[in-house]
Parts: sequence; structure tokens; C-alpha cells
Amino acid sequence: MARRLTSLFAFLMRTPVAIIAFCLMAAPAIAAGALNVGVQLEPPNLDPTSGAAAAIDEIVYANIFEGLTRITEDGSIAPALATGWTVSADGRVYEFELRRGVRFHDGESFDAEDVVFTFDRARSTTSTNAQRIIFERIKTVTAVDPLTVRITLNEPLGAFPIYLGWGDAVIVARGSAATNASHPIGTGPFKFKRWRKGASVTLVRNDAYWGRRPPLDQINFIFIPDPTAAFAALMAGDVDGFPNYPAAENLALIERDQRFQIVFGVGEGETLVAINNAHPPFNDIRIRRALNHAIDKQAVINAGLFGYGTPLGSHFSPHHPAYIDLSDRYAYDLAKARRLLAEAGFADGFSTTLTLPPPAYARRGGEIIAAQLEAVGIDVRIRNLEWAQWLEQVFSNKSYDLTIVSHTEPLDIDIYARADYYFQYQNENFNRVISALHETSNTAQRNKLYSQAQRILADDAVNIWIASSPKIAVWSSDVSGVWANAPLQANDFTKADIANRAPVLAAKATKSAFPIFTVWLIVAALGAAAIYFSRASPTFLLNRLVGMAATLAAASVVIFLLIEVAPGDPAAFMMGLNADPESIAALKAELGLDHSALVRYFTWVGGLMTGDFGVSYTYRVPVADLIAERFWVSLPLALLAFVISTAIGIPAGVMAAARRGRPGGRAIITAAQAGVAVPNFWLAIMLVLIFAVGIRWFSAGGFPGWDTGLIPGLKALFLPAIALALPQAAILTQIMRTSMLGVMDNDYVRTARAKGLSHDQVLRRHALRNALIPVLTILGLQFGFLLAGSIIVENVFYLPGLGRLVFQSIVQRDLIVVKSIVMVLVFIVILTAFFIDLAYGVVDPRLRRRAAS
Amino acid sequence: MIGAAFTAKQQKSKRDPGFLAGAAITLTFIAFAFVALFWTPYDVAALDIGAQFSAPSPGHWFGTNHLGRDVLSMIMVGAQTSISVAFLAVGIGLVIGVSLGLCAAAFGGFVDEALMRSGDLIFAFPAIILAILITAIFGATATNAIIAIGVFNIPVFARLTRGAALPLWTAGFVMAARTAGKNRFAISVEHIFPNLAHLLIVQATIQFSLAILAEAGLAYVGLGAQPPTPSWGRMLAESQTMVSFAPWLVLFPGLTIFVFVLGLNLLGDGLRHRLDPRRERGL
Repeated sequence: MARRLTSLFAFLMRTPVAIIAFCLMAAPAIAAGALNVGVQLEPPNLDPTSGAAAAIDEIVYANIFEGLTRITEDGSIAPALATGWTVSADGRVYEFELRRGVRFHDGESFDAEDVVFTFDRARSTTSTNAQRIIFERIKTVTAVDPLTVRITLNEPLGAFPIYLGWGDAVIVARGSAATNASHPIGTGPFKFKRWRKGASVTLVRNDAYWGRRPPLDQINFIFIPDPTAAFAALMAGDVDGFPNYPAAENLALIERDQRFQIVFGVGEGETLVAINNAHPPFNDIRIRRALNHAIDKQAVINAGLFGYGTPLGSHFSPHHPAYIDLSDRYAYDLAKARRLLAEAGFADGFSTTLTLPPPAYARRGGEIIAAQLEAVGIDVRIRNLEWAQWLEQVFSNKSYDLTIVSHTEPLDIDIYARADYYFQYQNENFNRVISALHETSNTAQRNKLYSQAQRILADDAVNIWIASSPKIAVWSSDVSGVWANAPLQANDFTKADIANRAPVLAAKATKSAFPIFTVWLIVAALGAAAIYFSRASPTFLLNRLVGMAATLAAASVVIFLLIEVAPGDPAAFMMGLNADPESIAALKAELGLDHSALVRYFTWVGGLMTGDFGVSYTYRVPVADLIAERFWVSLPLALLAFVISTAIGIPAGVMAAARRGRPGGRAIITAAQAGVAVPNFWLAIMLVLIFAVGIRWFSAGGFPGWDTGLIPGLKALFLPAIALALPQAAILTQIMRTSMLGVMDNDYVRTARAKGLSHDQVLRRHALRNALIPVLTILGLQFGFLLAGSIIVENVFYLPGLGRLVFQSIVQRDLIVVKSIVMVLVFIVILTAFFIDLAYGVVDPRLRRRAAS
Repeated sequence: MIGAAFTAKQQKSKRDPGFLAGAAITLTFIAFAFVALFWTPYDVAALDIGAQFSAPSPGHWFGTNHLGRDVLSMIMVGAQTSISVAFLAVGIGLVIGVSLGLCAAAFGGFVDEALMRSGDLIFAFPAIILAILITAIFGATATNAIIAIGVFNIPVFARLTRGAALPLWTAGFVMAARTAGKNRFAISVEHIFPNLAHLLIVQATIQFSLAILAEAGLAYVGLGAQPPTPSWGRMLAESQTMVSFAPWLVLFPGLTIFVFVLGLNLLGDGLRHRLDPRRERGL
């Protein structure tokens, strides 16, 4: 019986785990009728009322969630869940008439109580709403009757109906508000269907929508952070377009391509060099003016934004009626800049630091700005930060001199009146203009005040405003009905349509999370089988097991210590650009960051054992689910690369040894020498250029998911696997050859040859098997490397694997995810080493029953 | 037959074309980096927006980038970054690793066990992930890239040193020194170390080429030397989006890394044949 059981284990061992995985999740393909939208940033969650990240609104605004009012494409305001409203004479009391017959996606009906709940939640002391500062102006909100809501404000706020059209003010239901972060439930024309972390969010049409039926069946938002990958995805047809195309440098190329249309719209983004007005010497207006004179805005636009931008002179969008052109306020004049510097006592210039967040406009623009400032004698040191660090150091702590960033909120000139804002700008005169603005809803009056505000900022040279960038969308030519302009960072797809697409088939159930105990079971089964077949001695086993446990324990301590000293603040990062400190503090408490390190360590380790890896800071889903999801990309990728590498490396190594000193052997050695020296990310870029952009045999990147079938999945993994495998195959070739040569010098090989066996027979029967033994160790190491070390390659091909998850999490400071993934990878590496040790016993009978040594 | 092959091999290594090519490539790159300290065809800091995206031409051999900077000049200056990061990282590994390895061999027992197990611990971490973690947490600077790469070189040299030093402790000349009353420390420095030098030179060359690749990888993901310091990996990352219309921006930095690493590997193999014919190359 025992014998039979072990042969079952052996059978399981020989069955690739990946095939079992495919069987578990095989499902019919669906894809047609859907619009595939590429977006650059993945949102941290999907609740627009609890975070400031613009990436949330880009997906959910007007598609899933609706507010009482809505902002339309031309920036004007229109009724949405409210059919109309009235304002009292003193501008403090608003009464909203609500739409009849509206239902949330879960079937709950919408009425005045939902509005009261939404605004009470947004202004409560525990609210994490990024615009809480606006909702705190609400004194009371009451339901007059089920279809009428009365809102009383503390003081008049002319723009109140506009604010109610923002994403932060969408209406949520009491029953579903708590889970909106991961499963949003709104009243909009599309329902949330699925979020594949690091890959995509899928929405489907809401057939019970109160308004006009939207033409699209389904929208897939696909996350593509890298500009290169964005271009490649477009070329490969992986996406139907980008509402905000991130790689302006390719536009000329796309313009020539019949398959695409480029839509230029008005954007709200003001790209500026922010100056820390409180830091000497920038507290001197002459210095700030000198900086303004020293920058050639057009040159920055040409090189940093590839010519796409209108020069600005203040913090205002040129498409707004109240805009005044102040871009010539400080002409590009180096002599004048030097004179102002001299007047301020810095004739010889000074040293300063320019801090840059990750986007391309900042990194590219930064180099030009630095060079231009150096021309007037200012020595600029560039410091590149990830978003998390930027938000903490620049935005929250205000410890910076200069930085470059794009402000994308519409009509946000009032941020200059915020006392603790990171510009550190103070001007009573300006604050009075903003207060007056809040108190009037008269358009002519408001526009006049807006002009005044722009002038004051320009005169004070608070910042160096560089450009207003257009919203550049690229769409497949059969896409219609999409927004051209971006009055706010949102993509309203209510009217979007795509020609010549079949309707989407019936939706299938989403796959459930991978259970940790199955993992333990598989590990245990493999271990038992390996132990049985290796016939290792108990002492040896015990020794190895204890060693393994000790290494794991030490590794967990190292990982924990390393990560706990990280200076980033996940709460600040998650909340995004416009969050106020109180909201950040509320989130910090929610995340348990106030516990001691020791408590957190043991909670973490205990959780690891039982499969409770904690909940991701940014995604707000269990880390175990995240890892399991990514594992089914990384494992097949690693296996494929491993197979390719072994299939090339072993025979090539044997051949090189057999043909030692002959042209064939030398050719293999030379190829291997070259292969070892190729950086795999460069190989990956070149492969994409040739096979995806050039001859289009393969998709340039992305992963369709195993539910679209085995072939599309494997096809998506093929180029990445090649890029990973070739350098490894080259290493393997060299090692295999060396090992073979070593064996071939042995007496028994010579004996075999002498007794009349042919060269090939000797190689196969005697040399190969012995030569493989040391190669086993390398194979084990390589498998660990392939699984863990694919970070860079997964990024080039934007594959939603473990490597990319860990890189994203490091960038996002999602400490829980980083800790657990690194630990899982270390576990796999150590486990592989253990199996390899046991495998020696299988391959080499001499090593069986060996004593621990 | 075996004997004949052996002498043939010996003779070949005397005028090994691979070794000569490797040495030539390595020296050329070092020379380039050195010349770039004083002179480059163009100033790598200066902007020339008018000349942006010039294709390779007699004026700009490797073309220009989106800021109109000369790619050849940037590659020359980038060589300084790559070489100094790799050199210091290997230096860290060499100094610390060899000291630890000598100690492990000299004192044995608990010291040996502890040092070797710590080495195992470092090997258990996927190298790239730990390097990215270190640079991401402590800041993306060249110094942190050096430390991140250097950490992985320590156990490599420690193991090599220990493995080669252990048999030496039973050799006659060490026995003689011990009988003469020399302490373990003095023996390690005066007798053991000089006998390992050739091994270490070979291994350091190999590690140096790996460090060049690692530095390029870190810089590629934005965690190496920061702008305006030119770096090969970052040149690749920055120009990736422009590959369809300015392929030279991706081609030349990639080829540069490839040729330099190839040269170092050839040099390492050649050195091994000369200095250490018995040992063959590990991973």
C-alpha cells in the first residue's frame, strides 16, 4: 500500500504543477465587444470618497459612481442624481431635487437617506476623504422627503454645486460604502466586475441604468505604467487606446498609422517648478524672479514635453474664460536674472537641490531646468524620488528647495491660500481674494477675482509655471464617443462606442482565491516523495531540515529589520497629492502602524505560517490572494524559461565538450560567451522591437489571463521566457561543458572507449549521467533565479507576475506585500536547494544513505 | 592523446586570442573612462535642443538623444560610473569576503560555521530583489548601488578564500611557520593569502563583469546613479520609448554593456588559463 502511495506521489511529481493549475482555471474565452483602455497608473483602491489618487476617478467617475451633479466634457455643470436645485438668497442653503427610480448596482434603491449618509460620512472626524476640507463647510444635511435633500453651509460657497460634481462627492450607499474600495457599488451606467491586481479592472454594462443605455458591453482598464510598453501595447493591438497617452515622443509615428486617431483636448494640468517660498534664499522675491527669468519655457516644452504644451505665467488653465496670459511676465533674460541675483546678494550664484518625482515630464524637464539654472550660476543637484518619498518629503514635510510636478485638479488656484501647503506661500492680499471668491456665485464677479488671483501669484513669482499640457488621447480609429477634453481627471465612457465588435458573451464566475493549505499539502507531498526516493539518512534529513528552518528564521528577521527602517509613510502615499494631514493620520490608525515593531513582527510571522499574510496597504485585499494570483504568471514563465534554458544549455554543453577543439565546439563556446554578456532587459527590448513592433508575430506584452485559453497565455509568455532563458542557457552551456570535460578525463571513460564503445556511446552511457550531477545544483539555483529574478523582464513586458508585484509594492511602499513576497521567494529558493540536495540521492546512488557532513 | 591535448592547451593559452581580445577591450574601456575625465567629443551637460534626435553621422558617431546630447560622449562618461561602481562593489566583496574567509579557515569551529551560514543566508535572497529593496529604501544613489552589489560579493569571496585556504593549513610551509611560533593571524596574512592571490584575481574579474551587469540593471529600473550623471542602464531606460524612431539610442548603450562584459569575461577566462589551470569556472 505504502509502495502504491509513493508511486502516486511520484506520478504527481512528474506532472508539471502548472498543468494542474491550467485545469483548475480553464474557462471559455470572452473578449469581444469590450473596449480595452490603457491607463498609466493603477489606482490604490476604487473608492473615490476615501483617497485622492486621480487614478481612481479615471476608472469609476461617471462610469460606476455618480454625484448629485456632474461635470461635463466642456467643464460645465449638469444635473445627475439631482434633477435640479435651488439656492437661498444668502447663498447658504441648497435644496436638491433627486431623480426618481434610481437603483444601486446591488439592487438597493437610491433616495435622500443615501445623500445624507454620503455627506455625513465625508465630513465626519474619521473621514479619509481627500476633500474633507470642503465637506466640513456643511453645517447640516437633512432629508426633507425621500426625493428632496436640504444642505446648509456654515458660510456661502459659490462653487458648491461644482464641488458636488467632483469624484470625492459621489453618492454611496450605507450598505456598500465600507467595501467600495475593493468592490465599488454605485448608480452609474457600468457595474464593477473584476479587479486583477497589477493588471486590469473590468466593468460591464448596468442594464438597470436610469439613463440612456450605454453602447459598450464591457470596459477593460489595463494598467501600463511604462511609456515604452504603452507604445508597444498600442502597436500590438492589446489596447484600443489611451485617454492620456504617456509617450508623446511616438505621436509623429502614430499619426502616420491609419489604424489610430490622435485626439487633442484641453487638459487641466499645470506643469510647474514649485519653489519652497519659506526656504532661504527663495524667501527673497528677487531670487524667485531671477529663477523665472532664467528659464526658457519653450525649450523645456520642446525637450521635456516633446513640444506639446502652452507656456504659462500663472496657476490657471488657458481654456477657462477667466484666464489671462501672463507667460511673458518674466521674459527669458539671463542678464536680468544675473542682475536680480546680484541685487539679492548672490552674484556668484548658490547651490540648491531639484527634487523630481518619477513621471517622464519631471525627469526629462528636470535635466533642462537644471542646465538652464546653471547658466546663471546656480549649482543644481538633482534628486530623484519615488512617489511615496516625494509625497512624504516634499508634499508633507516640505523639505525641498525646488521640485517639478503637474497639478491636475481643475480650478485649484485656491491651494495657494492654504496655510500649510508645500509651496509655503503667504500673502494676505491673495487670501482675501480667495475668500471673496468663496462668497460669490456671480460668474462675472468670480472671473474678475480669478484674474486678480492669477496676477498676484505671477507678481510674487511664487513658482515657475512652465506649461499647460494638452490631454493627448490615442484611440483605435473605430472608437467613437470618448471625451476629448479633461475638465477633471475622468474618463466618461457613457457614450463611447466601438465599431465592428461582437457583443460580449455571458459573464463567467471569477476564480476564487488560492487556498494556502493546498500549497502546504503540495509542498509536503513533494517533500515526502523526494525524501522517499532519495533514501537519505534520518540524521542527514534532520540536519538539513533544522538548517532550513534556521535560515528561514534568520531571513525573516533580516527582511523585517530592513523594511521597518524604510523612511516612507504608506498612509501619505495612499492618500495622494491633495490629502490633508488629518486624513493621513486617520488612515495610519486604521492600518495599525502605531503598534510596536516586536508585535508587528510576531503577528506577521504567525500569519505567514497559517496563510494569513495580512491585508495589502494599497490594494486592500489579502496579500495571499495577491501572491496566488501573480504566482500563476510567474511560475509558468519560470518553468517555460527553465525548459528553454535547459533544452538549449544541456545539449549545447554536451556538444561543445564532444567537439572540443573543433570548429563546432568553438562556435558553441563563442555563442555562450556572448550569451553570458547580454543584459536580459536589453535583449527583451530588442525582442519586442523585432518580433512585436517589427514583424508582429507576438504581442508586445501584457497577459490575457489563462481564462482566455492555454495558447494565448503561452504566447504572451514566450518572448519574456526567451529573454530570461537565453543568458541562463549560455551559463548552463559553459557549466555543462566544463563538467563533461572533467568527466571525460576519468579512467572509466577511457576504459569504456578502450573496450570498443563509440565516442557517442561513451558520452551517452558513461559521461553524461555523471556530468549532470554538479549541473543539478546550477539548475536549482537557476530556477530560483528565474522565478525571483524576472523583475526587470516582467516590467519590460508588463506581465502581472510576482516580480512586478514586488517592484510595484516597493515603489508604493506597501510594506506588508513586500515583506511577504520576499519571504515567499526566499522560501522557494531554500526549498529548491533542499530538493536539489535530495535529488543528488536519486541521481547518484553513491550519495544515498550518506551521513550528515 | 590526453597528454597531447594538454600541451596543446598550454601552448594555446600563451597566445590565446580570447585573452588578448579581452585584455584589449577592458583596457580600451578603462582608457575611454579615463580620457572622459578630461575630454569628450561634446559636453555631456550641455543641451542642444536644435540637434535633438540626430542619427549617427560623422558629427555624432552614435547620434544624439532627445536633449541633443551626444550619445558617444555620454557612453564615455557613463563608463566612469559603471567602472567605479563595479570596482568599489567588488572591492567591498574582496576586502570583507577575503578577511572573513581567512578567519573561517584559520579559526574553524564556531567562527567558521557562523560565517559560512551567514553566507548561505545571503545566497538565499534573490539578489536582484534585495538590491532593489536596499536602493529603494535607503535612496537611489550610486553609493547604495555599490553597497547592494557589494553585499553579494562578500560570500562569494569568503567561500572561495575559505575553500582554498583550508588545504593550505595542512601544507608543510604552514606547519613550519606554526612550529616557528607564528600566530594564526600572521600566518594567514604572510603565508596563506599570497598563495590565494591568483585565484582571487581570476574571481574578481568575473565578479567585476557581473557587477557591471548588475549596475546596468539597477540603473535601468532607476535605482543607480542619478541624473545628470550619465549611466548606461539609465540611457537605455530613458530611450526605450524612442526606440521606434531613434533606435541608436537603445542600440549603442546596449552594445556597449555587451562588449565590455564580454571583454571582461574573456579576460577572466584567459587569466584562469594562465594563473590557475586546474580550476574551472563556477557560476
